[in-house]
Amino acid sequence: MGRYIFKRTLMLLPVLLGVSLVSFSLLHMVPGDPAELLAGEEANPEFIRALRKEYGLDQPLYIQYFHFISHVVRGDFGISIRNREPVIKLLKERFLFTLQLSFLSILIAGSIGLVAGVISATKQYSLFDNFSMVGALFGVSMPIFWFGLLLMLVFSVQLRWFPAGGKGTILHLILPAIALGAASSAVIARMTRASMLEVIRQDYIRTARANGLREFIVIYKHALKNAMIPVITVFGLEFGYMLGGAVLTETVFSLPGVGRLMVEGIFQRDYPIVQGSMLLVATTFVVVNLLTDIAYAFFDPKIRYE
Amino acid sequence: MKRYFFVLSLISFLLFLPTYGLAKIPGGTVTYAAGADPDRLDPANAESNPSEAVNRMMYENLAKFDEKLNIVPGLATKWEQSKDGMTWTFFLRKGVKFHDGAPFNSEAVKVFIERMIGPEKPSRAGLYVPFVNLVEIVDDYTIKIHLKTPFAFFLNNLAHSASGIISPTALKTHGKDIARKPVGTGPFKFVEWIHGDHITLVRNDDYWGGKPNLDKIIVKTVKEDSARVMMLQSGDAQLIVRIPPEDVPRLEKDAKIKLDSTETLRVLYIGINCFKKPFTDARVRQALNYAVDKEAIVKNIYQGRALVTSGIVAPLTTGYFPIQGYPYDPEKAKKLLAEAGYPNGFKAKLWSPQGRYPKDFEMAQVVQQQLKKVGIDCTLDTMEWAAYLAATRKGSEENESELFLLGWAPSTAEARWILYPLFTTEQWVPKGNNRSFFSNKEFDELVTKFTRATNKAEMDKYLKAAQELLIKEAPSIFILVTKETIGMSKNLHGVINSPLELTYFDHQTYLEK
Repeated sequence: MGRYIFKRTLMLLPVLLGVSLVSFSLLHMVPGDPAELLAGEEANPEFIRALRKEYGLDQPLYIQYFHFISHVVRGDFGISIRNREPVIKLLKERFLFTLQLSFLSILIAGSIGLVAGVISATKQYSLFDNFSMVGALFGVSMPIFWFGLLLMLVFSVQLRWFPAGGKGTILHLILPAIALGAASSAVIARMTRASMLEVIRQDYIRTARANGLREFIVIYKHALKNAMIPVITVFGLEFGYMLGGAVLTETVFSLPGVGRLMVEGIFQRDYPIVQGSMLLVATTFVVVNLLTDIAYAFFDPKIRYE
Repeated sequence: MKRYFFVLSLISFLLFLPTYGLAKIPGGTVTYAAGADPDRLDPANAESNPSEAVNRMMYENLAKFDEKLNIVPGLATKWEQSKDGMTWTFFLRKGVKFHDGAPFNSEAVKVFIERMIGPEKPSRAGLYVPFVNLVEIVDDYTIKIHLKTPFAFFLNNLAHSASGIISPTALKTHGKDIARKPVGTGPFKFVEWIHGDHITLVRNDDYWGGKPNLDKIIVKTVKEDSARVMMLQSGDAQLIVRIPPEDVPRLEKDAKIKLDSTETLRVLYIGINCFKKPFTDARVRQALNYAVDKEAIVKNIYQGRALVTSGIVAPLTTGYFPIQGYPYDPEKAKKLLAEAGYPNGFKAKLWSPQGRYPKDFEMAQVVQQQLKKVGIDCTLDTMEWAAYLAATRKGSEENESELFLLGWAPSTAEARWILYPLFTTEQWVPKGNNRSFFSNKEFDELVTKFTRATNKAEMDKYLKAAQELLIKEAPSIFILVTKETIGMSKNLHGVINSPLELTYFDHQTYLEK
């Protein structure tokens, strides 16, 4: 197991190198100049020249790239062109926040999704099943932007239960976590239901029942554990996406997460920010995938990594 | 004795009663939801409106704009201009301290001016480099600024947000990083900046103008328009800016909210590439102006929350003259096109950003339809803002633009900072900001003349002539002046909603309890 983890971690290096190369080239291929954007409509050519020089933007691209990589290796991600803040500091702040939001969100999505999925499967075609599957359909097809604004309108403006956006206490996180988790909970519910339906028709479940085990034990211990593999995959993917930043949710609720940092960085052509956040997102995705793979072994002892 | 005491206390009570009744109850925290992230809190390098608004609360200038954009004393109590217009003497306010305790004096002003004209080249150096020769300290509280040429609008540049005076000691310690560690003399002091979330300011108890009423200000970044509106309605914010026109009627009905609308200095126009045929012909450009029904645009797209303009200079700008422009007259447009040799019109490209200015793309769509009525068949394209700036900034030969929507507001509040950068020959892109490649010798001369004028009558004469000529030559389709609508809780008073598109608080702003 240890060796497997080590090997997978080593794989990160080529992935990160690839990501940095692709993001760097894409970023420099699109038109637009960070110096000019910063200077705005009333641009002053002298300032633009000075800024380009300060950030080395007047150098050939390959030199800029090697400069960037050689600094990253030493843990230096540069400073933001827009506000002169060290990129590493911004990434840290934003990532900690995204981590909180994603945890809460996956927690909500996971618990609703799992419970709804299991009940739907055990009571197939019941009223609950139909109801929750229609709900799941809503969940996956609802535009997050619209749903977020709707939540705000109802729970912040009308009922005043939660604040309308911004960072702060746990209360500030509830609405965004629901908005962000809605689609995931729907996907998890549908996956759990499908997987459970397959498992509860297996012989070993019949055997368990024949042995006189209580239905609760049969479903939640024997069936659910075996049905978890595809669900874990979905869990991992959804969590990975959340950690990669939820631009829409962050925009609607005015939250300082990784997603907005990256997207605004792109609009501002703030190269150090975009490159730093791309590397961060790629790393988290790889790590979450690795954790998912490890989780497989926990749920299915037949899976071993040697 | 007792009686005497009673009478005395009664008198003192009565004495204080009226003032107490009028007194603004100090205290309170205000959350201000801005529409975009600030960029830098260094006045000389700040380029976004939220940064400028925040800077205005922390920094002060020698001269400042009042709400009507007149220039009034700030950190200088008075000033004198020499007869030849080459030297300005400023008498500085005494007893002013920076937030870090450094004294405000001639030395601080010298450091500020020398930074602007020095090797560092801050982004707003353009306000000083072309005009300022050197600074001379007369005594601790008197300073002379010697210019290279007379400059009619020098005080406007001093009142510009970029001319906020920074503590010289802080500037020495932090250098360019003053951008995230601001230290000024203003009524509010910097506490923290959590990027992408908020900036916190607190009251400056040592403020020379008296203790500010508000305890604390939190400036939040809320990009989504509807989210800002909801924050105001839910009470999570006490002040919001950039209210979309469609939300105004709904907010007007809310008993807890008041709105304030001011016309800005921003003119939205369709630039015309005068370097390209058929736009080289002034008759074609005039035809374009006659073909666009500006009244209809203001009425239908902006629901009346904008003003039709005849030229590039908005009415509140210093140096504005009301001049007859182009009324809506499609017949005349067709006639002019025929005279220019295009009786059946022509095909053209129309570009517009989307979401940069209020209702920009919607306006471009209407312009497209209206131009079609006179036979000009436009394809309408939009681009992301950075690409848009880059595409319209290319040199004359490789620039592919034809008609392009843009907005301009002079941050110095005077007409020169419109006419010079947008339309003089030496300002052609990529060097300057003349994206229309307009070039007219007479116009260039008029701009130089009013810039160097030393008396008002002379200046006004050339300013007016320049604006008349520009309207006649029509290097743009002049459309409208925007209005900025802000919303706040009913109990918030004394908010400054400047036509410079800056909304901020001063020491007198207060929350009624």
